[in-house]
Amino acid sequence: MRNTFVDAYPDQARFIRRVFATSFTAFAVGAFFGLIQALHRTDILRVVESPTYYTVLTGHGVFLVLSFTIFFLVGVYQWAVTDSLERRPVDMRFTWGWYGLMVLGTLLAAFAILAGFVESIDVSANTLFTFYAPLQGHPIFYVGLVLFVVGTWLAGADWFRSWLAWKGEHPGERIPLPTFMVLTTMIMWYISSIGVAVAILAFILPWSLGIVDSINPTLTRTLFWYFGHPVVYFWLLPAYLLWYILLPKLSGGRLFSDPLARVVFILFILLSTPVGIHHQYLDPGIAEGFKFIVMTNTMFLLLPSFLTAFTVVASMEHGARQRGGTGYVGWLRALPWREPAFTGMALAGLVFAFGGFTGIVNAGMNINYLVHNSLWVPGHIHTQVGTASALTFMAGSYWLVPQLTGNRLVGRSIGLVQVLLWFIGIVFMTNSMYRGGLVGIPRRTAEPQYEGFQYEVAAGSVGELNAQLAIGGILLFISAMLFLALMLLTLFNRDSEPVDNRTIPAPLSGPEDSPAVLDNLKLWAAIAAVLVLLAYTIPLASIVTRGGLFGPDIGPFPVTIEGSGSIELVRMGLEFALETVSR
Amino acid sequence: MRIHTYEKLWLVAALVLIVGFIATITYGSVGLGISMIDDSEETLSPDEINDDERFGEPRVEQVGENEYEAYVVAQTFIFQPDPIEVPANSRVTFYVTSRDVIHGFAVVGTNTNTMVIPGEVSTLTVEFDEPDEYGIVCNEYCGDFHHTMEGQLTVVPEAEFDMTELEAEADDEVELGDETTVTATVENGALNDLETTATFEIGDQTVEEDVTVAGQDTEELAFTVDSTELGEGDHDWTVTVDDHEESGTLTVVEDLEGEDETGADTDGANGTDEDAEAGDTDA
Ligand code: HEM
Ligand SMILES: [Cu+2]
Ligand SMILES: [Cu+2]
Repeated sequence: MRNTFVDAYPDQARFIRRVFATSFTAFAVGAFFGLIQALHRTDILRVVESPTYYTVLTGHGVFLVLSFTIFFLVGVYQWAVTDSLERRPVDMRFTWGWYGLMVLGTLLAAFAILAGFVESIDVSANTLFTFYAPLQGHPIFYVGLVLFVVGTWLAGADWFRSWLAWKGEHPGERIPLPTFMVLTTMIMWYISSIGVAVAILAFILPWSLGIVDSINPTLTRTLFWYFGHPVVYFWLLPAYLLWYILLPKLSGGRLFSDPLARVVFILFILLSTPVGIHHQYLDPGIAEGFKFIVMTNTMFLLLPSFLTAFTVVASMEHGARQRGGTGYVGWLRALPWREPAFTGMALAGLVFAFGGFTGIVNAGMNINYLVHNSLWVPGHIHTQVGTASALTFMAGSYWLVPQLTGNRLVGRSIGLVQVLLWFIGIVFMTNSMYRGGLVGIPRRTAEPQYEGFQYEVAAGSVGELNAQLAIGGILLFISAMLFLALMLLTLFNRDSEPVDNRTIPAPLSGPEDSPAVLDNLKLWAAIAAVLVLLAYTIPLASIVTRGGLFGPDIGPFPVTIEGSGSIELVRMGLEFALETVSR
Repeated sequence: MRIHTYEKLWLVAALVLIVGFIATITYGSVGLGISMIDDSEETLSPDEINDDERFGEPRVEQVGENEYEAYVVAQTFIFQPDPIEVPANSRVTFYVTSRDVIHGFAVVGTNTNTMVIPGEVSTLTVEFDEPDEYGIVCNEYCGDFHHTMEGQLTVVPEAEFDMTELEAEADDEVELGDETTVTATVENGALNDLETTATFEIGDQTVEEDVTVAGQDTEELAFTVDSTELGEGDHDWTVTVDDHEESGTLTVVEDLEGEDETGADTDGANGTDEDAEAGDTDA
């Protein structure tokens, strides 16, 4: 008998399909914006005027790293909780409710951003996804972000509720691993997203509405990064979940160690938040000592990723040997390389390992001077969230979407081409970005071609770097479109049968091999909270003492595009400059 | 908890690696002295910049034998001063603040790089051994024309670097038979005394005067002109000190009708400074 996820939980499958559709829509728009950027920066094709580039870039950031990734996360987590607890949510209306809230938030933020393209609408939010004050976007943008985050909080509450209900029915049992991963991720998320909530609700939103008229830029920036580092794990942990839960099965085996997986997720609860200041190594107003503490914390945060690398590779090897693989490295050949779901995840893992090393460079306090805010950083971003997460999500979808639709995946071999294209595209694009960053090409710049100087590229030329960036960007875009096409075709591929069933084999070493204290979520949450207080109380107090809660009389700088074309913009720019000089 | 032997080995190796990274970076900070941008500077509100002793007039100042300080203001979408001129074989501390939004200050192709946050002052100390030219970019998005925000940093040969400034003032018109005075002000921005000669020329006359300006001080020189010797008409004059030159025109007239004795506007606006000074950046 057919036993897919949709057979067991049709209403859940319907829900998750809807969530994925939202995620993939954001992905489509974001990828298109990425293409525009890649061609614009390199001066190959400029379809927008340079000031409008920043509207595109804000959209790229928000749609990809907030909408695409986080909607995908809630979809996968809904699947993981349902499937591993073998129960539906306590109240499905609540589930639709938080999804609705997240969609509403996204639409409001998207409206504020996209209105930047339309001159006749007096709304814009060209603040980029980091919205550093005193740059100011339209209040609708901030309201949208808040609603979106509140939606994710409620999603977490929903999963905790399911778990509590399950616990009542299964007294004394260990939390199933996928649910454990979901709950620990959410604990991390609750602790960390408070930062951005406070930044917006207490400071930025009232200031954008004109209720308070000044702001402390270092404070809101620090609160943003308090959230900004853990959020990268929020993008990454659903990928980890798929690597731990799905990849072993796809390799033909089972997870190597359940206890270690739990330890890894606990380490993320503990360490992901008290490190955010590593994004502020080059900020004035923060003492060197705090930066040093954060640097050491960050290095220890490598540990869970190292452990993951071990478990993932070990599980793959186990799978390969089950499939008849032999030899020291010969087993690699026995892996199912024709499966896009498997190959995509394996390539994503490979890119992630490389990107991890570039992350160590970023984290190296004093090496950071060399790369901070250079093109190196988007290089890092695209190997990590842009591939480790994004490619894993796409690969995972090749297995998940048939489970959610009951339809067979259309174009398995095209899927294989798709993941390979992404890999090649990312190698080209990030190679160019890393190298460009090292010669000093800045990120977040519509025209990194300056009048007063030339970049000194040791091997190669700026022209060659540009070509690589553009080729990479084009390949990535084609790959993204292929993926979306395959998803759409699969959705309509009725009268077909998926090849696989929904069962996930039990780990080699199960939860009974680990102490029960690992499942004491309250304990870990409490320790994490203490670590956060230790890491942040003094820096925040010092920032407030220096700059005041609402800052030293710093007014807003709305980043709005008005009037017609560039002349108007030049005029505004000049007026703006003159005004500030004469003040 | 049961952990596989290989897993244990891996765990230990990972921890050793992590501690190794931390040790390397600590060595970079302590051993090599690459310190971080920090909170050592007092805060400075953007609306106090104009009245600030350091940032009111963005410039480069000498503070020691080979030590300089550069006070830099970033604002949409320029840096002041621009270009920033420093001598080779020097140690320069940059103090950078912002007048409006968050900016970046990065010397392209080097690790001189900092965030510039309104309300705060970033400090960076850099050694320049050789003459060179660098670009400066704002590497944090600061608004519509962020991509146009650049500046220049010029490291000039030590011998060519000078921090002397010259200004000259004179009447435009003088009545035939009267005397008038051309005043030259020599400012020495360097720490050491400046010993030089000022040359004043008008008509066929040349006057030379030796002058010594103490470090970070100014001297005024007065050149007296006898209009009778010049005779009626326009007379061009110049004051020269080293490579600096100021010039103007003096008109000798029959009589200054309807004007009071002090003559016309004498604010030096008729003198044109012909050389671009480092630190000469009045906006
Ligand atoms: C179609 C594929 C993509 C292309 C061609 C592309 C291209 C680019 C380019 C050229 C930049 C640099 C912009 C600049 O600094 O001026 C950029 C920035 C960025 N990209 Fe992508 N990208 C793609 C996919 C992704 C994906 C899948 C993600 C994440 C899930 C992502 C996340 C980001 C982020 C977070 C930034 C930095 C935004 C900022 O600085 O505010 N990109 N992208
Ligand atoms: Cu981080
Ligand atoms: Cu800028």
